[in-house]
Amino acid sequence: MQSESMYHELIKMIEGDQQAFHTLYDATYRDIYRTVSFLVDHPQDREDIMNEIYMQMWTSLPNYDLDRPFHFWLHGLVIRQVQRFRVKSWRRFRIFDRIRVFSREELYWDQPKETTDGIDPEISKAMQKLTDKQRTVIILRFYHDYTLEEIATLLDIPVGTVKSRYHAGMQSLRKHMGNHSLERMEKNNAY
Amino acid sequence: MPIESQIREHLHQEAETLECPQAVSKRIEQSYSQYLKQQRSKNIMKKRLIGGIVAAVIMIPTAAFAAPPLIEMMTRTPMTAEQIRMDSVGQAALEKLYHSYPETKSFVITDASQLGVDPTNVSMGKAIQTSIVLEEKGAYGKKVRLDLNGITGEIEHVNQENWEPLGKPVISLTDEEIKLKVDELINKLFGSSEKYEYSMEPIQNPDQKTLILNYAEKGSTTPYYQALVQGNTISVSLIGGGSAPSVEGYFTTNGKPDYTADAFLNDENLFSLLQMSPAELKQELAKGISVVEIAASKKISKQQVLDVIASTQAKKQIQADLHGKASDDETLEQLKQILAPKVSQVIEHKTETSW
Repeated sequence: MQSESMYHELIKMIEGDQQAFHTLYDATYRDIYRTVSFLVDHPQDREDIMNEIYMQMWTSLPNYDLDRPFHFWLHGLVIRQVQRFRVKSWRRFRIFDRIRVFSREELYWDQPKETTDGIDPEISKAMQKLTDKQRTVIILRFYHDYTLEEIATLLDIPVGTVKSRYHAGMQSLRKHMGNHSLERMEKNNAY
Repeated sequence: MPIESQIREHLHQEAETLECPQAVSKRIEQSYSQYLKQQRSKNIMKKRLIGGIVAAVIMIPTAAFAAPPLIEMMTRTPMTAEQIRMDSVGQAALEKLYHSYPETKSFVITDASQLGVDPTNVSMGKAIQTSIVLEEKGAYGKKVRLDLNGITGEIEHVNQENWEPLGKPVISLTDEEIKLKVDELINKLFGSSEKYEYSMEPIQNPDQKTLILNYAEKGSTTPYYQALVQGNTISVSLIGGGSAPSVEGYFTTNGKPDYTADAFLNDENLFSLLQMSPAELKQELAKGISVVEIAASKKISKQQVLDVIASTQAKKQIQADLHGKASDDETLEQLKQILAPKVSQVIEHKTETSW
């Protein structure tokens, strides 16, 4: 993703250039969908959030900071939409319904996935055990390779908070990933 | 391998397995074209925005339940209570409602909107549909929603909510009582329900008991009115049964029904001129005589028949072009002249001959 050209595509898209929309969409949708999938479990929710994110694209251009890379702005958008969605869904469901939804979500995750070659199911499971907040930090750190400072900016929270979520997340991951990585954890605690 | 790299690798591998469903791309593309459309009509929208904000403030209590889908939100133009009272269609409907149900005079208009007003051309064209919601004050107030045809001003749909006490919703009444309630609603707001055949049946709905009531004209399969009763709500829609009983395939060609002339011959004015029902007309035509000959046997001239059909068709044409704006006689005459040869061909046609 070339930040500068993406910015120009964005402007063109907002002015109504269909071609620019397709260029932009093709360049981004995989990354966005995957990020959303990591953060949100239910397929229908993912779809809704995807739609929201793109709708936000043509309204939140004014927030675009030219000094920062394009994907930084994009991920900020993703994070905000996912968070907004969580707040909404908590409001929407009463506790009773929520319990039902939870049990369904777990059911969904219990199903064996078709394409699990090369993927350690243990790590997948450990990732599911993280809280939403921890998971967001872990995904941004390891999937998108952001520094903790950048994550703090993205999430609009203090660096200290990011650090504590990060460490709590790592601890939980270690615990759930079993023994085979325990022995190395002392040596390689760097990020 | 340190746990960090393990996780990193794992995430990237898992990401490869996550493919964005096609449906999502389609949906987003639609949202984008919707955005473009909105963008183009933005200038006019601005003017309406001020009205919209005022309306939104008034409508705060309804905002919670009115979560319309995106598309509807964009084409529905909110109206204020004042605007709806000024609107000719809205005014007429309100008067009718107040007259039929005097208690509604004290109700507050909580929501009003127009569907399909062309924002690029405000002065011309009317709304396809105008909707008004009235509510009684109080926590469990009665509520009425009216959907009006923007062109003819007819009531197309009525939603009556909470008219029965909370402890005893409509659905809990006996079938007889429910029918009476629905009849009353139709008689007061639409017209007589008496001449229609009526049937009531439950709908398969595991969540809530729902009844459907069909009022159909004798022999017609499409209902004229249709009412749904659910919880404490009655909603009645005018379906119209396909404007008057009509018949398909007046003529036959090689033994097969020929629909060519149907659009011209399914004309209520023609039926009343000939004093025949559509079915009778079809029967007569099947004998191999033309419409003109049938008319002649009733001492009606060809010119009269031609005139009736041509003017109906011309009016339809004008209505489609001008959104039902009043047309001048000149255009009507011109159109009739253009149509005359076609009509004449139809009414001289005999079944089983080539056109």
